[in-house]
Amino acid sequence: MAESDAELQPKMVLSVTDLSWQLNDKHILSTINFSLTEGKMLGIIGPNGAGKSSLLRCLYRFIKPTLGNIELFGQDIGVLSAKQFAQQIAVVLQDTPHHFDMTCSQLIALGLTPHKNAFDFTSKQDRQEVANALIKVGLQDKANQAYESLSGGEKQRALIARAIVQRPKLLILDEPTNHLDIRYQIQTLELLRTLNITVITSIHDLNLASALCDELLLLDGGYCVAKGSPKTVLTEQRIAEVFDVCCEIRPHPQHGNPLISYFYGYESATDLANKVQGGEGE
Amino acid sequence: MSNSAIGLVNGLTLPRRPIEYLLFGVLVLLTLLTPFAATSFGAASISVADVVSVISHKLLNVGESLGVRERIVWELRLPRVLLAFIAGAGLSIAGSVLQTVTRNPLADPYLFGISSGASFGAVVALTLFSQSILWLSLPLGAFVGASLSVVMVLALCGQNLSTQVERMLLSGVAISFMFGAMASLMLYFSSPQAAASVLFWTLGSFAKASWQGLWLPASVVFICTLIILLYKRQIVAMRAGDETAHTLGINVGALRLSMLLLCSLITAILVANCGGIGFIGLMVPHTVRLLFPGRYPLLLTALVGGLFMVWVDVLARTLLSYQELPVGIITSVMGSIFFLFILGSRSAKRI
Repeated sequence: MAESDAELQPKMVLSVTDLSWQLNDKHILSTINFSLTEGKMLGIIGPNGAGKSSLLRCLYRFIKPTLGNIELFGQDIGVLSAKQFAQQIAVVLQDTPHHFDMTCSQLIALGLTPHKNAFDFTSKQDRQEVANALIKVGLQDKANQAYESLSGGEKQRALIARAIVQRPKLLILDEPTNHLDIRYQIQTLELLRTLNITVITSIHDLNLASALCDELLLLDGGYCVAKGSPKTVLTEQRIAEVFDVCCEIRPHPQHGNPLISYFYGYESATDLANKVQGGEGE
Repeated sequence: MSNSAIGLVNGLTLPRRPIEYLLFGVLVLLTLLTPFAATSFGAASISVADVVSVISHKLLNVGESLGVRERIVWELRLPRVLLAFIAGAGLSIAGSVLQTVTRNPLADPYLFGISSGASFGAVVALTLFSQSILWLSLPLGAFVGASLSVVMVLALCGQNLSTQVERMLLSGVAISFMFGAMASLMLYFSSPQAAASVLFWTLGSFAKASWQGLWLPASVVFICTLIILLYKRQIVAMRAGDETAHTLGINVGALRLSMLLLCSLITAILVANCGGIGFIGLMVPHTVRLLFPGRYPLLLTALVGGLFMVWVDVLARTLLSYQELPVGIITSVMGSIFFLFILGSRSAKRI
């Protein structure tokens, strides 16, 4: 009985309690709480400077939070070694450095790093794994091309393939759809959905977030303003408050999640509200 | 499916080009021939056959002694060829690793002001200590000076060392100028002989190579290279940037610091033994990268550097009759021509 109960109860992957981070007395993140169950895709949304990247950096231990706890499968992430940590969490960042002269498959093979000891050579099985990842993201034709010569969408897919090779239990992405045209934006997020792993991604496009994320976390000025399903998080009033943009929300004809239409030509949402009220008064 | 999929990433790199096989072949051939051929060059004419018989007499106790020629080959030239090989290999691998972990293509083994620190130490040893223990004190002084410069750069950076590469590079420049100025000042007030011998030492030479002096640089370069090779996967991952390397489970700060220290140890030992030989740590890694694009062959870099240095030393011995040229001059001339050539061919490609 207990076993079937455990199966029914989705497994908790990550839980964050009272996370705060200060930089030179400036509060970047303030008392953030959330948790994520297995297989879900969490989108972190919010305006520029809301603390999205900082929150992600705390999660992958690049910065140390001032206060609060981050637990991965019920274990504090501080106790894991760098290697153990990287065996469970893979991260796809926005930029690679200039003069990055690796081929696509060499870049993907970097994902093997946390699973290798000093004396391990790259085995046939490792190559198989890299090849499978290439096929999974549809880059089999580009295996031996220079990473720098790939298009934006292909680069993003190559980075995701590197994360696949890392065999993570949680995948964190920082703005994976940045600089991509709409086809690649959709393609990238749909690819993430097919991987069947738990994903946390920051994302700018609210409609994309609404369509493809299971849960959203809305940040503003370092505070978590709202969290939950796209339907509960994305409301007209909240978008007006946080982004200062006026919009109308209807259910999307395909999936029923919120579809946001923005209004243009107004200085601010309050400006619009005043004008609408004024119009009604006349 | 699996077989064709594996074919995609054979060797995880580009398929080998015919020219790479050719280059490998040439390198293997050079490695086999160099100890004999390089030893036969020099002021006294000694044939390759003589070299072979001396080596077989010494090592295998076959054949008979060749008298003076045996002494020249065994006691002068062979240690010299070996020291040149060790120096070239060590400086090249140190340059290659430093360029990667600092992500600066212009990084070379003398990054921390090691060469100015070493010349300052050498000047102090020459001018302040008695002339009688000169040859003993000069390498020691140079090693102490080189280590001092590394320690000072590390102290200047403090905790920021591992995160702020720029700060570290600039500290290296500052320390380098400071030691350079102090060395020049001391030289200005010292005797002309001391100035001449410090100058000759600064330009680099393998003339004082001996079997007794060989074991220390050889073991240091060998052990450090071994450690570097064990960390190759991590060093390669550093190329993707600090933050990405961190997410791949690499302790970026610790790795960078330990690689900097290992490379500094190699360089300090070599600079103390053979003087400041410039350009090789910069030129060889770039050449190997050009010859084998998309690869990261550390051991090959060391091999190419070693062979190159042996033949530069042969040039230094034979270009002028009855006089030796400092190897540093030859490497610098070749290095500058090489870079102009690369710049030329690159800009031609762009257009």
